[in-house]
Parts: sequence; C-alpha cells; structure tokens
Amino acid sequence: MNVMRQTDDTTATAEIKIAAKGVQVYYGDNHAIKDVDVDIADRTVTAFIGPSGCGKSTFLRCLNRMNDTIDICRVEGKITLDGEDIYDKRVDPVQLRAKVGMVFQKPNPFPKSIYDNVAYGPRIHGLARSKAELDEIVEKSLRRAALWGEVKDRLNAPGTGLSGGQQQRLCIARAVATSPEVLLMDEPCSALDPIATAQVEELIDELRSRFAVVIVTHSMQQAARVSRKTAFFHLGNLVEFGETGQIFTNPRDPRTESYITGRIG
Amino acid sequence: MSIGLLLAIILGLAAVGYVFGIRRAKSASGGDTRSLHSLAGYHGQSVFLFVAVPALLLVGIWLLVQPIIIESRVSGLIVEADIPQGGSRDLVMSDVRRVAGGLNIIAGEGGLSEDEIANMGADLGDLRSRLGGVGVALASDIQPNVFEASKRYRQMTNTGQIMLSVSAIALALAGFVYSIARITADFRARNVSEGFVKLLFIACSCVAVLTTFGIVASLVVESLHFFRLYPVSDFLFSLTWNPQFRGGSDLGIWPLLWGTLYVSFVALLFAVPVGLMSAIYLSEYASKRVRSVVKPAIEILAGIPTIVYGLFALITVGPFLRDYFAQPFGLGSSSSSVLTAGLVMGIMLIPFVSSLSDDIINAVPQSMRDGSFGLGATHSETVRQVILPAALPGIVGAILLAASRAIGETMIVVMGAGAAAKLSLNPLEAMTTITVKIVSQLTGDTEFASPETLVAFALGLMLFIFTLGLNVIALYVVRKYREQYE
Amino acid sequence: MTNAAVHSTPRSGSLFSQDQRTRRRNTAERRFRIYGQAAIGIAMMALVILLASVLGNGLSAFRQTFINMPVTLDADVLDKKGNRDADDLKKVTTIGYSKLLLNSLTQLIEDQGLAIEGLAASDIKDMISDDAAAQVRNRVLANPELIGQTVSLKVLANGRIDGYLKGRVSMESAERDSNVSVNQLRLTDEMMERGLIGKSFNWSFITAADASELRPEAAGLGVAILGSAYMMIVVLVLALPIGVAASIYLEEFAPKNRWTDLIEVNISNLAAVPSIVFGILGLAIFINFAGLPQSAPIVGGLVLTLMTLPTIIISTRAAIKAVPPSIRDAALGIGASKMQTVFHHVLPLAAPGILTGTIIGLAQALGETAPLLLIGMVAFVRDFPAAPPEGLFDPAAALPVQVYNWTQRADPAFVERASGAIIVLLIFLLAMNAVAILLRRKFERRW
Repeated sequence: MNVMRQTDDTTATAEIKIAAKGVQVYYGDNHAIKDVDVDIADRTVTAFIGPSGCGKSTFLRCLNRMNDTIDICRVEGKITLDGEDIYDKRVDPVQLRAKVGMVFQKPNPFPKSIYDNVAYGPRIHGLARSKAELDEIVEKSLRRAALWGEVKDRLNAPGTGLSGGQQQRLCIARAVATSPEVLLMDEPCSALDPIATAQVEELIDELRSRFAVVIVTHSMQQAARVSRKTAFFHLGNLVEFGETGQIFTNPRDPRTESYITGRIG
Repeated sequence: MSIGLLLAIILGLAAVGYVFGIRRAKSASGGDTRSLHSLAGYHGQSVFLFVAVPALLLVGIWLLVQPIIIESRVSGLIVEADIPQGGSRDLVMSDVRRVAGGLNIIAGEGGLSEDEIANMGADLGDLRSRLGGVGVALASDIQPNVFEASKRYRQMTNTGQIMLSVSAIALALAGFVYSIARITADFRARNVSEGFVKLLFIACSCVAVLTTFGIVASLVVESLHFFRLYPVSDFLFSLTWNPQFRGGSDLGIWPLLWGTLYVSFVALLFAVPVGLMSAIYLSEYASKRVRSVVKPAIEILAGIPTIVYGLFALITVGPFLRDYFAQPFGLGSSSSSVLTAGLVMGIMLIPFVSSLSDDIINAVPQSMRDGSFGLGATHSETVRQVILPAALPGIVGAILLAASRAIGETMIVVMGAGAAAKLSLNPLEAMTTITVKIVSQLTGDTEFASPETLVAFALGLMLFIFTLGLNVIALYVVRKYREQYE
Repeated sequence: MTNAAVHSTPRSGSLFSQDQRTRRRNTAERRFRIYGQAAIGIAMMALVILLASVLGNGLSAFRQTFINMPVTLDADVLDKKGNRDADDLKKVTTIGYSKLLLNSLTQLIEDQGLAIEGLAASDIKDMISDDAAAQVRNRVLANPELIGQTVSLKVLANGRIDGYLKGRVSMESAERDSNVSVNQLRLTDEMMERGLIGKSFNWSFITAADASELRPEAAGLGVAILGSAYMMIVVLVLALPIGVAASIYLEEFAPKNRWTDLIEVNISNLAAVPSIVFGILGLAIFINFAGLPQSAPIVGGLVLTLMTLPTIIISTRAAIKAVPPSIRDAALGIGASKMQTVFHHVLPLAAPGILTGTIIGLAQALGETAPLLLIGMVAFVRDFPAAPPEGLFDPAAALPVQVYNWTQRADPAFVERASGAIIVLLIFLLAMNAVAILLRRKFERRW
C-alpha cells in the first residue's frame, strides 16, 4: 500500500472537476444507483470500489453519458463538469465525451491499424490540421501510453494483433489522443495478466498529472496502489468516500470494513 | 403384373411379416416376454424391414436399369438405312417405344392375340390406322426393321417385367423366411432393426450428394453433346447470338452474359444501398416499435414468389418506365428493359441484403460501439468508421450471395428484360440473359438433339459454375468473418 | 516527473454552446438518419406499390359479367326423338345450344323493345361467350328434365363486354377493334339500365379449367390449383421423411469425417443453386432419362422436392439442435438406445420446428415457376387430372405457371386473370405462413 502518495501530490490542486449531486439511475424498474453525491478532484486518481453489481460501473458511465446509448436507462440528479450540468438539454453528448474520455474493461481496439486506432478520435474531432500534426498527436499519445517503443515500427499493423496488455494501452492511447480533461477507466486491468496490470497502473500514475482519472476496480489492492481518493459502493449506495489511506486503514462505515476485510463481496 | 400391384404385394408381405415376427418372438420367449433380448415389436420391425427394403430397392434399381439395357439391345436392330433423312436415331427409337406401347394397348383390349402380333409384319395395311385408333398417331408408315424392333422392344419389356415381379417377390419371401427363422429369445432384434434404420438415414442424407451429382452429370453430358455439334470456341468467344431453325446458328454466350451481368448490376445498385441502409437503420436507430412493424414487412417482400415480381415488372414497372422515361427521352420504346428487370429484381433482393447485413451488423460486438462512443463519436461516425469497416467482409459476402441470386433469377428477367440478345449500354433497351435463353431454348419447338436446344445445357452449366463459384467464395468469406468474432 | 512540461492545454469552451465542427457533425448525423429512413421508406413503398398493383389489377377477375335471360330449352332441337336418352342428348353439339341461346337473346331484345340502330344478328351472337353454350349443354345433360322448359339463366357474356363493364374496353377502342362493335356496347348500356346484364361473383374462375386464347371470360384456375396441390402432396410425402431422416443422421449419428463434410457442403450449396438448374435436372434426368411424362405433377413434385430438401434439412437440423443435450443424456442415462432417444424424445420435441420449416419450404415450392417451365408444365391443359396416384402422371398445370401462361397471351383480359391468379396464390401462401407462425407461437419453447 502506497501511503507515500499523499505527500507526493502537493502539486495537485484540490479543484473540483466533476460534481455529482443526488444522482439516481434506473434501469427500467430497477433502481440501480440511489442518491449518490461525489466530487471528483482535478489531476487526481479517484477509485470506485465495491462488490460486483454494486453500481460502480453504472455510475461511471453516467459521467460521460454513455448510459444514453441504453434505451431503458434513466438518470436523475445533477452532474456538473466545471460547473456546467452535463445533462442539460443544450449539451451535446458527443462534445461531452470528447472532454471525458473512457477506457473499457475489455480491450476493444477497432479492427484497424494501430495508427488509425489512435488517430480515430483526433480525426473525428478535427484536432489536427495536417498529416504531420496528426502524426505528432499519434506519437505523443502512444508515448504517453508507454506503447511507442513497442509499436513504432509497425504502426500499420492491425491493433487487434497486439497482446492483451498492449491492446489496453492502445485503448488508453486512443482515449488520450483526443486530449480529454477527465479519463474514466472501467476496470481497465480485469482482463490483463499481472505484468500488463503493473504496466497499466504505472501509466495511470503518470496520467494523473494531466487529467482527472476515475478508475473502477474490484481489486482493493489496485485502488490502494493507484488512487488518492476512494469511493465505496454497495447495492447502489455510495457508502463511504474519502482519502484512500483513510478508507483502507480506518473505515468509518462497518460495511466498508466488512468489504475490505473480505467478509462481503 | 403392374408395378403398383407389385409394390402392394411387397408391402403386404412385409406387414404380414411384422405380425408374424411379433408372434414368433412371443412364442420364442415361452410366455415370459421379459426373457426376450428385444421387445417383440422390434422383432416384427426387423422382419418388416428385411422383407420390404431389399425388394423395393431391387424394384427401384431394376426400373432404372431395364430401359437402358433394352434400348441398347433394340437399337442394334435398326440400321442406318432405317433412319430417315434429317432424323436421328433418338427419334426412331421414340417411334419404337410408341409403337410398342400401341401394341400393348391393342393386345390389352383383346384386338390381337400374342400369336397374331408375333406373326404380324409391318406391311399389315391397317397397322397404322389400328395404332391411330388407340391414340398412337404416326407421322409415316413404319419401316419393317422398326416394326421388328418395336416387337422386340415390347417382348423384352414384358419379359423384363415378369422377371422383375418374380425376382422381387422371391427376394421378399427369402427375406421373410430368413428373418422369421432367426428369431430366438436372444436375437438382438433391436440392434438389427436400428442398424437398418440408420442405414436408411444414411441413404436419405446422400440424396443431396446424388442431386448435385445429377445436376453436374446432366449438365456436363448434354453440354458435351452440344460441343460435339457446335465448337466450344464459338460458344465462348462469339459476340453474336442468333439461333436459326434450319441450322447455321450463331450461339455466342457474350450477349447473354452481358445482359445477365447488366441486369444484376442494376439490381445490386438498387438493392445494396437500400438494403444496407435499412439494415443499419433498423439495427442501430429504429425504436422497438418501428422494428416490429418494418421487419415483418420486409420479410413479406422475401416471401413473395418471383412470378409476382415478374408480373409487377410486366404490367406496372415496364409500362411506367417506357411512358415516363424511355419515350420522352427517346431512349427506346420497349416496356421490357434492363432497367425494368433490374429495378424489380432490386426490390426482390432488398430483404435478402437487409436480413443478411442485419445479422452481420449485429455480430459486431457492442464493445466496438462503446469504444467509439466513449471517444465522442456520433452514431453515424461510429457506423461508418467502425461498424461498417468491421463488418465489411461479412457485407461483401452478403453482396456476393445477392449477386448469385440475381444471376440465377429467371422469372423476373423472362417477364421484364426482353428476348433480344444485344450488347448495348442503354439500360432502357430490352436485353436478354442466360436464364431467359435457357427457358426459351428448352420450351421452344426445336428438336431436342439440335444445337439450338442443347445450347441451353451449356448455358445452364455456365450459370451453375458462376453461381456456385460466387456462393463458395461468399460462404467462405462470411464464415471467416464470423470466426473473427467468436 | 514534472507536470508542467507536458501539460496539454485544456480546451476552452462551454459544453452549452456547440462549436461549428460539432454542429457540422450533427448535421451529418441527421443526414445519415434520413438516408436510413429513406431506405426503409423505399422498401415499404415498393411493397405497397407491388401489392396495390396486383390487387388493383386482379380483384376484378373474381367478378364476371353475366346476361340474365330466360332461355327456352326447345325439346325439338335438343331431343328430337323425345325419349330423353342420355346418349341421344349427347349428340346435340354446342352449336345447337348456341343457336338456342342466340334465339333466346334475340327474343329478349325484341320483348324489351331494345332498338339499336344497325345491330346485326352477329352482334347479338357475339354478346354471349362461346363457352356459354357448353356450360348450358353440361347443365342440360346433368338435368334432362329441364328440356322443354324456359329457365332463367345467368349466361356468360363475351370477354369484350366484360371488359366494357370493367373499363378495359371503351367506345373509342371498340371502333378499332374487330372483336367488338360500338352497337354491342350501346346494347350493353341499354341492357344494364334494365338490369339484364351485370357482374356477379365468378366461382368458375377458381374451379373451371383454362380456356383458349379467344375466351378469356371462361378461363379458370381449377386445373392449376389441382396440379399445384398434387405437386405439394408429392413434395410433402417425399421431402419431409427424407429431409427429417437426413437431418437426424447428420445431427445425431454422423461421424466427423470427409464424407459428412461432403454432404454438408452439398446441402449448403444446393440451397443456393438457381431454381432453373433444378428444372434442367428434371428435364434431363426425370423426363429424358427415366422417361416420365412431360407436364406431369409427379415430375414437378420430384423437382420441387429436390429443391426444397435443403430448406427442410436446414430448418430441421436447427430444430433438432435446439433440443438441449440434457434431454438426450437423461434418456441415454436410463439405458435407452440412441435410436430410441431420438424417436422418443428428440423428434417429438423438435416436431414444431420441423413442421414450421416444412411449411415454409412448401410455400417456397408452391410459388416456384422457373423449373416447372422446363418440364413442360406450360402446356395448355384443359382436362382435370385423375385422382392420385394415377393422376400424378396426367398432364396438369400449376398456379404460378398458369400466371406466366396467361401473361403470354395477347388479350388484355388475361392480364386481369393473371393478377387474379396471383391473388389466389398469395392467399394460399399467406395461409401457409400464418399456420407456420401460429405453430411457432403455440409450441415455441425456450430452454
């Protein structure tokens, strides 16, 4: 457990990037998220932990309106990004998702070349004015995802041909390439082996210097390793939210304690 | 003995065998049926199968082989001199068969005894009128040799029939005795009859192979006949199609191939965008309610027989295109045209393309869509830049399958495309296709053995090769595509 | 590491205002949606126009024009000997009857005082269909006691008169048409006013045999419906058992080897072979090689059997595959043989699926035209085939081929009849598909 982190983070501001208030999510008749309040700080890693089906992924998907793509899903309450309500009628989810990027549980590279995978976002958002600029963005993103060295000679090879860990770092590079302000990661290491996991975690640690990172994980060790703040979800409720060190060493709620000591979950 | 009676006797014997088998099994058990290895019913079943199946097989094979043997024997009786000018051996042989049939009827009605027929010569003046009286009209008087051949043919057929009856019934009886005799309490009747049933299953599953074999054999054999009468190079490379009744025809495939490909191209040009876009809309955008209405409606289009599309082309689309497009622009005055047939065929292909693409688009994993949406792509960007490229191999396969359907389609082009073999670019002109010509050459009045008729088989062979090739490629592509996501 | 060095500038701009690029992208999105809706619209429109065209052209075929007139069945003409002997009655041909009808109609016109200038006797004769005499004759032969009476009959009118009532023939077109005169149409108008002529439901369209080129008004679908029914019987009797047996073998017994692969490849390829190729197969194998008669339902049935077999095998295999292996394990576990498991458990559970597939295969076969053209079913057949099994070898027509046949004839009245025949065909198909859907709904089982 890396308790040292808190002392490292002196440069990070406590500025709040995303604020959620009274969020309720319904899947048809199922009340999946019950009255959740969370503040996500900028340039900080925030971890959502909890047993399977507790609603942590659902809540994560509310933050960039990915739930819009599911017909029966309904979101109530208020979520703001830099003070602007993201569920406001005037907001285009497409613009929102450009600011709030996402990495998924299973690596999902598109069936295109490595280059095209990373260039996809910049292309649709029109971030590059020339081929040279695009090349630069791709290279920078791949470097940030710590993948450049491994793929720089085969940028035209299909992204699906990479190993699992490389694929997930490619997906991270793809998300980073649109220069988002927030990066949501939905159990990014659950499909990876321990070595790949370590590489991704190291990456997250670097990414936190530029983005607000929100990571959902079912591994408490991972939360403890990478995050500064942790939120514990249980049965759709946000049970406890606070500094990671405090949650793991001195939980206030008995349910949190049961979970981290392995009695529920 | 007629075949029907023979079959009835065999089945009757088999039914009796079933009952006897059960009885025999019960008595073999000594009153306690539990001591039997198999249930009594299985003993009956095994007797039934051993009586019926071999005998029926014999009848089937006999009926297939007998005419071939007799024909070859009888055909030897006819010398070249008997074949009239411009006729062929096949025609004479068909006369032989008809005369033999006529003699049979006369004998059956008691008009002539067997001895009288045997002593009768072709010079018997009233033969032709007598045969005419029983419905066998002959074009000319019969040559003595032909008449002898007829008599021989009739005699051999009748003998064959009797031999068949005797041997089939003997075989059935042998099966009866054999299978009854071996019934004991320990006899594994269930295993035997199940093994037998399994053999039947295997035989049934071979029907598909036999069908393919039959198709290939008939196409190849008749095509070879054709190529003996007409040079292959002319067929494959000549640019004119101009069949004549009196020989000297030009039978080049190119005008037909061009028409076929042109019509198919127009059809795909219409069907692929419409079918693909409706599949995309239905699987990506449409609400549940819209889907529940539109999908069945499109399926109705798929269930409509092609003759209906043909009539639609003939009475609605053709006249419409002629009156509003062809004539005002001076592009033609025919209601049947490439565009007519192509459009209507396009409508027919919409459900085909749309349901295949629907399956393929749905096979693209949801994680691809999530990945794209997560980067801030709009729905259409996701479809165009992620889903379609991912589904491309599958869609190409679907288009190839649709193309193969279009090339093999018959009724729409027969009724919509016209009959003139032309190499033209004007889509409002009537052109013709391979399938149209297969129909017209085989339903015409020309003699069967002439190149004008036999060319249909060569055309059929080309059609078969084309569609089979497209299908094999398409199925391969689609299978590879599915494996990618499994 | 230092953050400032690689700090990317966060994009400015509120979420509430769309930048130009986003607006453009959203326009493209809407455009794409509209393409999709347009495609659906085109498909739906094609369906509607197709059905409307067939229904619009064909519904009138079910109603036919008849002349309501009293007919004097003169005993002096019909039964000269006066003994009502059936053989003697048969000696009077249709010519005698048509004279009778002419006399009766002339009488009627006089009685009603319908004076049309320049109306010739031949005009009056041509008001009545050539087939009407035969119909009256059949009726008299069936009931000889009618002779000597004056009966009120509905006499079939000529096709052109029928066309006039249905708007196909007009005064202008009649002037150019040698088969109908303007005077006849005037007479028709007068008779209509008095209710002597009119349309009524035409059963004989469904029951009667085909008629010659010159008598569209008498052409019916009877032989075609019967021929199609015979072929469906052949297909059902052959394709269902063979298809089910083949599917059972392939799903339950077949070892994984080259031969099985060959069978599978064959089945999937046969499903895509153009139907006309099956027609060539039928012509070459069944007619030329095996010597079966042309135009016979047995040959059509055999060809359609081979054609539907892949459909039936594919759907039967799907139905058998849908039966969960646990059922098989349960039966095998109590000592049933493989064959017993199949016949006692798998087949009954797969039966609804098999039936649905079979019905859909039959529906496909019923609408198939091209292969039947090649085996001679286009021939003009007036006689009803005998009852099966002998009737299977008699010449007959088939519903879709009859449609094609009628479209090849010159008289536009046959277009109406072809469309009418299609309505009959579609009703059969609709009924079959409805049964298939009902079966599926009723017995559908989710494991």
